[in-house]
Amino acid sequence: MHSPVEQFAIKVLFALNLFGFDIQFTNSSLFMVLAVLVSSAFLYFAMAPAATVPGRMQGLAEMLYEFVADMVRGNVGSEGRPYFPFIFTLFVFVLFSNLLGLIPYSYTTTSQIVVTFAMAMFIFIGVTMIALFKHGLHFFSFFVPAGAPKVLIPFLVLIEVISYFVRPVSLSVRLFANMLAGHTMLKVFGGLAVMIASAGGVFVAGSILPLVAIIGLTGLEILVAVLQAYVFTILTCMYLNDALHLH
Amino acid sequence: MNFRNIVTRKIMSSALLLTLAGTSPVLAAGDAKGLPQLDITTWPNQLFWLVVTFGIGYVIMSRFITPRIGGVLEQRGKTIQNDLTRAKEAEAEAQEMKAEYEASLDEARAKGAEAASKAMSEAKESADTAEAALTAKLAKKTKAAETKLAKIRDEALASINDVASEVTQDAVMAVTGMKVTKAEATKSVSKLAKAGAGQEA
Repeated sequence: MHSPVEQFAIKVLFALNLFGFDIQFTNSSLFMVLAVLVSSAFLYFAMAPAATVPGRMQGLAEMLYEFVADMVRGNVGSEGRPYFPFIFTLFVFVLFSNLLGLIPYSYTTTSQIVVTFAMAMFIFIGVTMIALFKHGLHFFSFFVPAGAPKVLIPFLVLIEVISYFVRPVSLSVRLFANMLAGHTMLKVFGGLAVMIASAGGVFVAGSILPLVAIIGLTGLEILVAVLQAYVFTILTCMYLNDALHLH
Repeated sequence: MNFRNIVTRKIMSSALLLTLAGTSPVLAAGDAKGLPQLDITTWPNQLFWLVVTFGIGYVIMSRFITPRIGGVLEQRGKTIQNDLTRAKEAEAEAQEMKAEYEASLDEARAKGAEAASKAMSEAKESADTAEAALTAKLAKKTKAAETKLAKIRDEALASINDVASEVTQDAVMAVTGMKVTKAEATKSVSKLAKAGAGQEA
Protein backbone atom coordinates (compact mmCIF):
# COMPACT_ATOMS: atom_id res chain seq x y z
CA MET A 1 0.00 0.00 0.00
CA HIS A 2 1.41 3.32 -1.11
CA SER A 3 1.20 6.41 1.00
CA PRO A 4 -1.19 9.12 -0.33
CA VAL A 5 1.66 11.62 -0.13
CA GLU A 6 4.13 9.45 -1.98
CA GLN A 7 2.89 11.06 -5.20
CA PHE A 8 4.67 14.25 -4.15
CA ALA A 9 8.08 12.55 -3.95
CA ILE A 10 10.83 13.94 -6.13
CA LYS A 11 12.21 11.31 -8.49
CA VAL A 12 15.39 11.84 -10.44
CA LEU A 13 14.84 11.16 -14.14
CA PHE A 14 18.43 11.70 -15.24
CA ALA A 15 21.53 13.34 -13.87
CA LEU A 16 22.67 16.65 -15.28
CA ASN A 17 25.68 18.81 -14.58
CA LEU A 18 26.29 22.46 -15.34
CA PHE A 19 29.80 23.74 -14.65
CA GLY A 20 30.09 21.23 -11.86
CA PHE A 21 26.71 22.10 -10.37
CA ASP A 22 24.32 19.25 -9.91
CA ILE A 23 21.14 20.14 -11.79
CA GLN A 24 19.64 16.66 -12.04
CA PHE A 25 16.44 16.51 -14.03
CA THR A 26 13.55 15.33 -11.85
CA ASN A 27 9.81 14.80 -12.29
CA SER A 28 9.32 18.24 -10.77
CA SER A 29 11.70 19.78 -13.36
CA LEU A 30 9.97 17.89 -16.15
CA PHE A 31 6.55 19.29 -15.29
CA MET A 32 7.90 22.83 -14.90
CA VAL A 33 9.37 22.49 -18.39
CA LEU A 34 6.11 20.99 -19.65
CA ALA A 35 4.03 23.81 -18.11
CA VAL A 36 6.09 26.38 -20.04
CA LEU A 37 6.27 24.27 -23.20
CA VAL A 38 2.57 23.33 -23.32
CA SER A 39 1.33 26.82 -22.48
CA SER A 40 3.68 28.50 -24.97
CA ALA A 41 2.87 26.00 -27.72
CA PHE A 42 -0.86 26.30 -27.09
CA LEU A 43 -0.82 30.09 -27.11
CA TYR A 44 1.51 30.22 -30.11
CA PHE A 45 -0.42 27.81 -32.32
CA ALA A 46 -3.82 29.07 -31.19
CA MET A 47 -2.79 32.56 -32.27
CA ALA A 48 -1.20 31.36 -35.52
CA PRO A 49 -4.19 32.32 -37.72
CA ALA A 50 -4.20 35.82 -36.15
CA ALA A 51 -7.69 36.13 -37.58
CA THR A 52 -9.90 39.16 -37.16
CA VAL A 53 -12.78 36.82 -36.41
CA PRO A 54 -11.17 34.23 -34.09
CA GLY A 55 -11.75 30.50 -34.25
CA ARG A 56 -12.28 28.39 -31.13
CA MET A 57 -8.62 27.99 -30.17
CA GLN A 58 -7.75 31.61 -30.92
CA GLY A 59 -10.82 32.66 -28.94
CA LEU A 60 -9.59 30.65 -25.98
CA ALA A 61 -6.10 32.17 -26.15
CA GLU A 62 -7.56 35.66 -26.43
CA MET A 63 -9.91 34.97 -23.52
CA LEU A 64 -6.93 33.99 -21.37
CA TYR A 65 -5.13 37.20 -22.35
CA GLU A 66 -8.15 39.44 -21.81
CA PHE A 67 -8.91 37.75 -18.49
CA VAL A 68 -5.47 38.66 -17.11
CA ALA A 69 -5.51 42.07 -18.85
CA ASP A 70 -8.85 42.92 -17.21
CA MET A 71 -7.53 41.69 -13.88
CA VAL A 72 -4.48 43.98 -14.11
CA ARG A 73 -6.54 46.91 -15.41
CA GLY A 74 -9.20 46.49 -12.73
CA ASN A 75 -6.91 45.96 -9.75
CA VAL A 76 -3.78 47.93 -10.59
CA GLY A 77 -4.90 50.42 -13.22
CA SER A 78 -2.92 51.78 -16.14
CA GLU A 79 0.32 51.86 -14.09
CA GLY A 80 0.16 48.06 -14.02
CA ARG A 81 0.80 47.84 -17.77
CA PRO A 82 4.57 47.28 -17.57
CA TYR A 83 3.99 44.38 -15.17
CA PHE A 84 1.36 42.73 -17.37
CA PRO A 85 3.75 40.23 -19.07
CA PHE A 86 4.95 39.05 -15.67
CA ILE A 87 1.41 38.70 -14.27
CA PHE A 88 0.36 36.89 -17.44
CA THR A 89 3.32 34.49 -17.23
CA LEU A 90 2.56 33.90 -13.56
CA PHE A 91 -1.09 33.09 -14.22
CA VAL A 92 -0.33 30.84 -17.17
CA PHE A 93 2.50 29.05 -15.33
CA VAL A 94 0.43 28.35 -12.21
CA LEU A 95 -2.68 27.46 -14.22
CA PHE A 96 -0.89 25.00 -16.50
CA SER A 97 1.09 23.51 -13.58
CA ASN A 98 -2.17 22.96 -11.66
CA LEU A 99 -4.04 21.53 -14.64
CA LEU A 100 -1.18 19.32 -15.88
CA GLY A 101 -0.93 17.94 -12.35
CA LEU A 102 -4.47 16.62 -12.62
CA ILE A 103 -3.54 14.25 -15.42
CA PRO A 104 -3.07 10.78 -13.90
CA TYR A 105 0.59 9.80 -13.33
CA SER A 106 1.70 13.39 -13.85
CA TYR A 107 3.35 15.61 -11.26
CA THR A 108 2.02 18.79 -9.65
CA THR A 109 4.87 21.26 -9.24
CA THR A 110 2.63 23.73 -7.40
CA SER A 111 2.16 21.16 -4.64
CA GLN A 112 5.78 21.86 -3.70
CA ILE A 113 5.98 24.49 -0.96
CA VAL A 114 9.43 25.50 -2.14
CA VAL A 115 8.05 26.34 -5.59
CA THR A 116 5.06 28.34 -4.38
CA PHE A 117 7.07 30.01 -1.65
CA ALA A 118 9.82 31.01 -4.07
CA MET A 119 7.25 32.61 -6.38
CA ALA A 120 5.55 34.33 -3.45
CA MET A 121 8.89 35.60 -2.10
CA PHE A 122 9.88 36.90 -5.50
CA ILE A 123 6.57 38.75 -5.75
CA PHE A 124 6.85 40.04 -2.17
CA ILE A 125 10.40 41.33 -2.58
CA GLY A 126 9.67 42.69 -6.05
CA VAL A 127 6.56 44.52 -4.92
CA THR A 128 8.36 45.97 -1.87
CA MET A 129 11.22 47.16 -4.09
CA ILE A 130 8.77 48.79 -6.49
CA ALA A 131 7.07 50.55 -3.57
CA LEU A 132 10.41 51.75 -2.13
CA PHE A 133 11.65 53.02 -5.50
CA LYS A 134 8.41 54.76 -6.24
CA HIS A 135 7.60 56.29 -2.86
CA GLY A 136 10.92 56.27 -0.99
CA LEU A 137 10.54 56.61 2.76
CA HIS A 138 6.94 57.64 2.28
CA PHE A 139 6.31 53.94 1.69
CA PHE A 140 6.41 53.37 5.46
CA SER A 141 3.24 55.44 5.87
CA PHE A 142 1.60 52.35 4.40
CA PHE A 143 1.86 50.76 7.83
CA VAL A 144 0.05 53.62 9.61
CA PRO A 145 -3.69 53.40 9.08
CA ALA A 146 -5.22 56.78 8.29
CA GLY A 147 -7.52 58.35 10.87
CA ALA A 148 -6.65 55.92 13.68
CA PRO A 149 -6.65 57.13 17.32
CA LYS A 150 -3.10 58.10 18.41
CA VAL A 151 -3.11 55.67 21.33
CA LEU A 152 -3.78 52.74 19.03
CA ILE A 153 -1.18 53.62 16.42
CA PRO A 154 1.73 51.53 17.80
CA PHE A 155 -0.53 48.53 18.07
CA LEU A 156 -2.01 49.05 14.60
CA VAL A 157 1.40 49.53 13.04
CA LEU A 158 2.50 46.25 14.59
CA ILE A 159 -0.53 44.50 13.10
CA GLU A 160 0.04 46.07 9.71
CA VAL A 161 3.73 45.11 9.69
CA ILE A 162 2.92 41.53 10.65
CA SER A 163 0.17 41.29 8.07
CA TYR A 164 2.53 42.68 5.45
CA PHE A 165 5.26 40.15 6.18
CA VAL A 166 2.77 37.31 6.37
CA ARG A 167 1.78 37.96 2.74
CA PRO A 168 4.34 35.67 1.07
CA VAL A 169 3.53 32.93 3.56
CA SER A 170 -0.23 33.11 3.07
CA LEU A 171 0.14 33.48 -0.70
CA SER A 172 2.38 30.42 -1.05
CA VAL A 173 0.72 28.22 1.57
CA ARG A 174 -2.74 28.80 0.08
CA LEU A 175 -1.73 27.41 -3.31
CA PHE A 176 0.51 24.68 -1.90
CA ALA A 177 -2.07 23.48 0.65
CA ASN A 178 -4.88 23.43 -1.88
CA MET A 179 -2.85 21.33 -4.29
CA LEU A 180 -1.55 19.07 -1.53
CA ALA A 181 -5.00 18.52 -0.01
CA GLY A 182 -6.72 17.93 -3.34
CA HIS A 183 -4.23 15.42 -4.66
CA THR A 184 -3.96 13.67 -1.30
CA MET A 185 -7.74 13.36 -1.16
CA LEU A 186 -7.85 11.84 -4.64
CA LYS A 187 -5.17 9.34 -3.65
CA VAL A 188 -6.92 8.48 -0.39
CA PHE A 189 -10.16 7.69 -2.22
CA GLY A 190 -8.25 5.81 -4.89
CA GLY A 191 -6.47 3.78 -2.23
CA LEU A 192 -9.80 3.17 -0.55
CA ALA A 193 -11.29 1.80 -3.76
CA VAL A 194 -8.35 -0.58 -4.19
CA MET A 195 -8.50 -1.61 -0.53
CA ILE A 196 -12.23 -2.37 -0.65
CA ALA A 197 -11.92 -4.22 -3.95
CA SER A 198 -9.01 -6.31 -2.68
CA ALA A 199 -11.24 -7.58 0.14
CA GLY A 200 -13.00 -9.59 -2.55
CA GLY A 201 -16.55 -10.91 -2.81
CA VAL A 202 -19.38 -8.39 -2.36
CA PHE A 203 -16.84 -5.70 -1.48
CA VAL A 204 -15.79 -5.42 -5.11
CA ALA A 205 -19.17 -3.83 -5.87
CA GLY A 206 -18.69 -1.53 -2.88
CA SER A 207 -15.54 -0.08 -4.39
CA ILE A 208 -17.82 1.77 -6.80
CA LEU A 209 -18.56 4.34 -4.09
CA PRO A 210 -15.02 5.76 -3.72
CA LEU A 211 -14.70 5.64 -7.50
CA VAL A 212 -17.78 7.85 -7.87
CA ALA A 213 -16.33 10.12 -5.20
CA ILE A 214 -13.10 10.38 -7.22
CA ILE A 215 -15.06 11.47 -10.31
CA GLY A 216 -16.79 14.21 -8.32
CA LEU A 217 -13.53 15.22 -6.64
CA THR A 218 -11.71 15.40 -9.95
CA GLY A 219 -14.31 17.92 -11.16
CA LEU A 220 -13.82 19.87 -7.94
CA GLU A 221 -10.04 19.72 -8.35
CA ILE A 222 -10.26 21.19 -11.86
CA LEU A 223 -12.24 24.06 -10.36
CA VAL A 224 -9.68 24.44 -7.55
CA ALA A 225 -6.79 24.35 -10.05
CA VAL A 226 -8.26 27.26 -12.04
CA LEU A 227 -9.50 29.11 -8.98
CA GLN A 228 -6.17 28.94 -7.13
CA ALA A 229 -4.30 30.16 -10.20
CA TYR A 230 -6.76 33.06 -10.30
CA VAL A 231 -6.45 33.76 -6.57
CA PHE A 232 -2.65 33.66 -6.72
CA THR A 233 -2.64 36.11 -9.62
CA ILE A 234 -5.27 38.50 -8.31
CA LEU A 235 -3.51 38.74 -4.93
CA THR A 236 -0.29 39.56 -6.78
CA CYS A 237 -2.23 42.30 -8.58
CA MET A 238 -3.51 43.64 -5.25
CA TYR A 239 -0.04 43.67 -3.71
CA LEU A 240 1.26 45.46 -6.79
CA ASN A 241 -1.56 47.96 -6.51
CA ASP A 242 -0.68 48.61 -2.85
CA ALA A 243 2.94 49.13 -3.86
CA LEU A 244 2.06 51.57 -6.65
CA HIS A 245 -0.68 53.50 -4.90
CA LEU A 246 -0.16 52.86 -1.12
CA HIS A 247 -3.95 52.23 -0.81
CA MET B 1 -5.76 45.73 4.62
CA ASN B 2 -7.87 43.05 6.25
CA PHE B 3 -5.58 41.65 8.86
CA ARG B 4 -8.10 39.33 10.42
CA ASN B 5 -8.89 37.76 7.07
CA ILE B 6 -5.28 37.03 6.35
CA VAL B 7 -4.62 35.64 9.78
CA THR B 8 -7.71 33.44 9.55
CA ARG B 9 -6.65 32.14 6.18
CA LYS B 10 -3.15 31.57 7.38
CA ILE B 11 -4.32 29.68 10.45
CA MET B 12 -6.65 27.56 8.36
CA SER B 13 -3.99 26.78 5.79
CA SER B 14 -1.46 25.97 8.49
CA ALA B 15 -3.96 23.79 10.31
CA LEU B 16 -4.65 21.88 7.12
CA LEU B 17 -0.97 21.53 6.44
CA LEU B 18 -0.24 20.34 9.98
CA THR B 19 -3.15 17.91 9.90
CA LEU B 20 -1.94 16.40 6.66
CA ALA B 21 1.66 16.36 7.80
CA GLY B 22 0.58 14.81 11.07
CA THR B 23 -1.64 12.16 9.55
CA SER B 24 0.63 11.24 6.69
CA PRO B 25 2.81 8.89 8.72
CA VAL B 26 -0.36 7.15 9.88
CA LEU B 27 -1.68 6.93 6.33
CA ALA B 28 1.72 5.80 5.16
CA ALA B 29 1.42 2.85 7.51
CA GLY B 30 4.78 2.95 9.13
CA ASP B 31 6.54 5.06 6.52
CA ALA B 32 7.84 7.79 8.82
CA LYS B 33 9.45 9.96 6.14
CA GLY B 34 6.60 12.49 6.23
CA LEU B 35 5.79 14.96 3.49
CA PRO B 36 8.23 14.79 0.57
CA GLN B 37 7.77 18.56 0.19
CA LEU B 38 9.52 19.16 3.49
CA ASP B 39 12.65 17.36 2.40
CA ILE B 40 14.88 20.39 2.01
CA THR B 41 17.54 18.51 0.07
CA THR B 42 15.32 18.71 -3.02
CA TRP B 43 14.82 22.46 -2.69
CA PRO B 44 17.91 23.89 -4.38
CA ASN B 45 17.31 21.71 -7.43
CA GLN B 46 13.65 22.75 -7.66
CA LEU B 47 14.56 26.40 -7.17
CA PHE B 48 17.07 26.14 -9.99
CA TRP B 49 14.54 24.62 -12.38
CA LEU B 50 11.84 27.05 -11.30
CA VAL B 51 14.08 30.01 -12.07
CA VAL B 52 15.12 28.53 -15.42
CA THR B 53 11.64 27.49 -16.58
CA PHE B 54 9.81 30.53 -15.28
CA GLY B 55 12.51 32.78 -16.72
CA ILE B 56 12.24 31.16 -20.13
CA GLY B 57 8.44 31.25 -19.84
CA TYR B 58 8.59 34.97 -19.03
CA VAL B 59 10.80 35.67 -22.04
CA ILE B 60 8.50 33.67 -24.35
CA MET B 61 5.35 35.33 -23.01
CA SER B 62 6.69 38.88 -22.95
CA ARG B 63 8.57 38.67 -26.27
CA PHE B 64 6.32 36.54 -28.46
CA ILE B 65 2.96 35.65 -26.98
CA THR B 66 1.58 38.81 -25.37
CA PRO B 67 2.66 41.20 -28.16
CA ARG B 68 1.09 38.82 -30.68
CA ILE B 69 -2.26 38.51 -28.90
CA GLY B 70 -2.24 42.21 -28.02
CA GLY B 71 -1.47 43.05 -31.66
CA VAL B 72 -4.32 40.90 -32.96
CA LEU B 73 -6.75 42.45 -30.46
CA GLU B 74 -5.57 45.95 -31.31
CA GLN B 75 -5.87 45.22 -35.02
CA ARG B 76 -9.39 43.94 -34.47
CA GLY B 77 -10.31 47.05 -32.51
CA LYS B 78 -8.91 49.20 -35.34
CA THR B 79 -10.80 47.21 -37.98
CA ILE B 80 -14.05 47.59 -36.07
CA GLN B 81 -13.38 51.30 -35.57
CA ASN B 82 -12.58 51.71 -39.27
CA ASP B 83 -15.72 49.87 -40.30
CA LEU B 84 -17.80 52.05 -38.02
CA THR B 85 -16.21 55.20 -39.40
CA ARG B 86 -16.78 53.99 -42.96
CA ALA B 87 -20.40 53.19 -42.20
CA LYS B 88 -20.88 56.64 -40.72
CA GLU B 89 -19.29 58.23 -43.76
CA ALA B 90 -21.48 56.21 -46.11
CA GLU B 91 -24.53 57.24 -44.13
CA ALA B 92 -23.56 60.92 -44.34
CA GLU B 93 -22.97 60.50 -48.08
CA ALA B 94 -26.39 58.91 -48.52
CA GLN B 95 -27.98 61.77 -46.57
CA GLU B 96 -26.16 64.27 -48.75
CA MET B 97 -27.33 62.49 -51.91
CA LYS B 98 -30.88 62.45 -50.62
CA ALA B 99 -30.74 66.18 -49.87
CA GLU B 100 -29.29 66.81 -53.33
CA TYR B 101 -32.00 64.76 -54.97
CA GLU B 102 -34.67 66.58 -53.03
CA ALA B 103 -33.16 69.94 -53.94
CA SER B 104 -33.12 69.02 -57.63
CA LEU B 105 -36.68 67.79 -57.33
CA ASP B 106 -37.72 71.11 -55.77
CA GLU B 107 -35.88 73.00 -58.50
CA ALA B 108 -37.59 70.98 -61.22
CA ARG B 109 -40.92 71.60 -59.58
CA ALA B 110 -40.29 75.33 -59.38
CA LYS B 111 -39.13 75.38 -63.01
CA GLY B 112 -42.24 73.51 -64.08
CA ALA B 113 -44.50 75.90 -62.24
CA GLU B 114 -42.67 78.85 -63.75
CA ALA B 115 -42.94 77.42 -67.27
CA ALA B 116 -46.62 76.73 -66.75
CA SER B 117 -47.34 80.26 -65.54
CA LYS B 118 -45.24 81.72 -68.36
CA ALA B 119 -47.12 79.69 -70.98
CA MET B 120 -50.37 80.74 -69.40
CA SER B 121 -49.48 84.44 -69.44
CA GLU B 122 -48.19 84.14 -73.00
CA ALA B 123 -51.40 82.50 -74.12
CA LYS B 124 -53.40 85.19 -72.36
CA GLU B 125 -51.33 87.88 -74.00
CA SER B 126 -51.76 86.44 -77.47
CA ALA B 127 -55.48 86.01 -76.82
CA ASP B 128 -55.65 89.62 -75.71
CA THR B 129 -53.81 90.74 -78.84
CA ALA B 130 -56.07 88.70 -81.05
CA GLU B 131 -59.10 90.06 -79.27
CA ALA B 132 -57.86 93.62 -79.62
CA ALA B 133 -57.13 93.07 -83.31
CA LEU B 134 -60.57 91.58 -83.82
CA THR B 135 -62.19 94.45 -81.97
CA ALA B 136 -60.28 96.95 -84.07
CA LYS B 137 -61.21 95.13 -87.26
CA LEU B 138 -64.81 94.99 -86.23
CA ALA B 139 -64.79 98.64 -85.29
CA LYS B 140 -63.28 99.49 -88.68
CA LYS B 141 -65.93 97.40 -90.44
CA THR B 142 -68.67 99.02 -88.37
CA LYS B 143 -67.33 102.42 -89.17
CA ALA B 144 -67.18 101.60 -92.89
CA ALA B 145 -70.73 100.28 -92.75
CA GLU B 146 -71.84 103.35 -90.91
CA THR B 147 -70.13 105.60 -93.44
CA LYS B 148 -71.72 103.67 -96.25
CA LEU B 149 -75.07 103.89 -94.51
CA ALA B 150 -74.70 107.64 -93.99
CA LYS B 151 -73.73 108.09 -97.62
CA ILE B 152 -76.71 106.06 -98.75
CA ARG B 153 -78.93 108.02 -96.40
CA ASP B 154 -77.50 111.33 -97.63
CA GLU B 155 -78.01 110.20 -101.21
CA ALA B 156 -81.48 109.05 -100.32
CA LEU B 157 -82.13 112.35 -98.62
CA ALA B 158 -80.72 114.25 -101.62
CA SER B 159 -82.88 112.24 -104.03
CA ILE B 160 -85.84 112.82 -101.70
CA ASN B 161 -85.32 116.58 -102.19
CA ASP B 162 -85.18 116.11 -105.96
CA VAL B 163 -88.26 113.94 -105.87
CA ALA B 164 -89.92 116.43 -103.55
CA SER B 165 -89.13 119.40 -105.83
CA GLU B 166 -90.43 117.51 -108.86
CA VAL B 167 -93.53 116.54 -106.86
CA THR B 168 -93.78 120.17 -105.80
CA GLN B 169 -93.46 121.37 -109.44
CA ASP B 170 -96.09 118.92 -110.49
CA ALA B 171 -98.31 119.70 -107.53
CA VAL B 172 -98.06 123.48 -108.12
CA MET B 173 -98.74 122.96 -111.81
CA ALA B 174 -101.72 120.81 -111.05
CA VAL B 175 -103.16 123.07 -108.39
CA THR B 176 -102.36 126.48 -109.77
CA GLY B 177 -101.40 125.83 -113.32
CA MET B 178 -98.34 127.89 -112.65
CA LYS B 179 -95.10 126.79 -113.91
CA VAL B 180 -92.50 126.68 -111.22
CA THR B 181 -88.89 126.37 -112.15
CA LYS B 182 -86.94 123.57 -110.81
CA ALA B 183 -84.61 125.88 -109.01
CA GLU B 184 -87.43 127.59 -107.14
CA ALA B 185 -88.92 124.26 -106.16
CA THR B 186 -85.69 122.97 -104.95
CA LYS B 187 -85.08 126.10 -102.93
CA SER B 188 -88.36 125.92 -101.17
CA VAL B 189 -88.12 122.19 -100.57
CA SER B 190 -84.68 122.43 -99.01
CA LYS B 191 -85.93 125.39 -96.92
CA LEU B 192 -88.78 123.25 -95.65
CA ALA B 193 -86.55 120.26 -95.19
CA LYS B 194 -84.22 122.38 -93.16
CA ALA B 195 -87.02 123.69 -91.06
CA GLY B 196 -88.25 120.12 -90.59
CA ALA B 197 -84.87 118.96 -89.71
CA GLY B 198 -84.62 121.84 -87.26
CA GLN B 199 -87.98 120.91 -85.82
CA GLU B 200 -86.97 117.33 -85.62
CA ALA B 201 -83.77 118.34 -83.89
